[in-house]
Amino acid sequence: MKLGFIGLGAMGEPMALNLLQGGHELHLWARRPEAAAALVAAGAAVCTTPAQVGERADVVFTMVTTGSDVEQVVLGPEGLVHGFRAGAVLVDCSTIAPETTRRVAAGLAARGIHMLDAPVSGGEPGAREGTLSIMVGGPQAVFEELRPLLGLLGKTLVYIGEAGAGQVAKAANQLNLVVTIQAVAEAFAFAEANGVNFRPVWQALTQGFAGSRMLEIVGSRMMEGQFDAGIDARLHRKDAHIVLECATQSRSYVPAAALAAQTFNALMARGQRRWDSAATRLVLEGLSGLGRRPSPPAA
Amino acid sequence: MAIELGWVGLGIMGQPMAANLLRAGHRLRVHARRSVCSDPLAALGATVCGSPAQVAQGAQVIFTMVSDTADVEAVIFGTGGVAQGAAAGSVVVDMSTISPVATRDMAARLAERGVDMVDAPVSGGQIGAVNATLSIMAGARVEVFERVLPLLQVLGRNIVHIGANGAGQVAKACNQIVAAVTLEAVAEGLALARDNGVDPARVREALLGGFAWSKVLEIHGQRIISRDFQPGFKARLHRKDLRIVLETAAQLDIALPQSALVAQHLNALVGQGFGEEDSSALVKVIEAATGRGPGVAS
Repeated sequence: MKLGFIGLGAMGEPMALNLLQGGHELHLWARRPEAAAALVAAGAAVCTTPAQVGERADVVFTMVTTGSDVEQVVLGPEGLVHGFRAGAVLVDCSTIAPETTRRVAAGLAARGIHMLDAPVSGGEPGAREGTLSIMVGGPQAVFEELRPLLGLLGKTLVYIGEAGAGQVAKAANQLNLVVTIQAVAEAFAFAEANGVNFRPVWQALTQGFAGSRMLEIVGSRMMEGQFDAGIDARLHRKDAHIVLECATQSRSYVPAAALAAQTFNALMARGQRRWDSAATRLVLEGLSGLGRRPSPPAA
Repeated sequence: MAIELGWVGLGIMGQPMAANLLRAGHRLRVHARRSVCSDPLAALGATVCGSPAQVAQGAQVIFTMVSDTADVEAVIFGTGGVAQGAAAGSVVVDMSTISPVATRDMAARLAERGVDMVDAPVSGGQIGAVNATLSIMAGARVEVFERVLPLLQVLGRNIVHIGANGAGQVAKACNQIVAAVTLEAVAEGLALARDNGVDPARVREALLGGFAWSKVLEIHGQRIISRDFQPGFKARLHRKDLRIVLETAAQLDIALPQSALVAQHLNALVGQGFGEEDSSALVKVIEAATGRGPGVAS
């Protein structure tokens, strides 16, 4: 098939490579042409505008950072929409607000173009290995038609519902993540403030009912003080605010997510924007005054 | 001295405020989306215009009083907006409660056309608007503030120049934080009293004499005790104001945990169908969590 891909960041690049290695023709556009170099070496073709990608491809994937990036790349002056033929499909893998997805989908539907919202979970390793979880919203028939393509990117493909439903599922996923990160950071600071080393606590917790992938991964990064790898905290912050925006629109009550978002705001203010979200540990420790205490409190 | 003024936005607040300017002897050009809102002002002598741009034509000072950031942007910079009619040297006074960040941006865009802007959000509710006793928090260059001060004095009593453009909206955001978090505290305190079988009215009376005194305890505390949730200040509007607060906090990387929680309680309150009630109905969310409430067996 003739495919397109826009957004060649840490996630997009390995995803695009998996499509290419699946034997498809791939047309790219990148804001910075050097971002496409590795894929071009692997056989992809570069276009000068998103519209040109739309002209050349039947199915175009987008993987960009914000809702306004998606709107710009799809509906902007040189956007995909100006190149797409009727019957083309946009698969947006970005994590954005469901409301934005619905707006973009409606803009495309008016011209006979289909859209799937297909946000992913699984991080860079999942993107490289093609083992992402993909949560899909949009017309179900289009999803079934594209299942083989999506299968090149991920292992768990779940059809959630109408346009925007994939983003709602992803928001629920991110809600779980940011609240769990907050919980792990609190547990860390709590143990340390009580004069207990977190390492054995962590070993015990991972084996019990509090065990979770986030406790394993983020908890271990917190213990190691290893904040330079993984997922940029700024992206979790962005996702937390998508959750809150969505909760405001749907009038739902998400107090824990609201608090976690404030911790991420504080982390940003400390200038640790590009650190891993495990650095939330530092915010919680700081608020408990750890590091400034002369000695652990008497029992 | 009577001067030519403009007013856009004739809702529950805007209508009595505009009427006060007319009664002070000024000439007033008005616009509202629905003519039913401008009729009472036409009866007082205002000129009704077809668009915000027409309101701005010939007006030295143009007031806007609408609901949200996007509304102000549309009214000023949209098609037929104030910017299309405002002459260089005129002043736009926005009395809506909106984003400080967006306000600074709009002030800069107006300045490019030689038009000054004052952000002048108010506190004091409909009663304050009718009686001209509003508190007004202004952000503007000092000479612009002084130019419009005599007009603001027609609308309110406690008028404070906070600082440059956007500073008035920052002050209003602070006001909404303190009011909302205090309201939550009052509602929780009175719920604790009642669930302990203690008369919340007496608790309120005792607290009013101590360090926990606040206007919110006095006024909203009474509304909670007498279950009188007539607005007042509607819960859905308080929710909107806290959304502005939290958006601003995210833009500036500030953690506001209490505001974040109260905003969630307001989501719940509006979600339960009480958005049109006074924001003191917040107590219903606390009661709903336990299923306890007045008249509910506990």
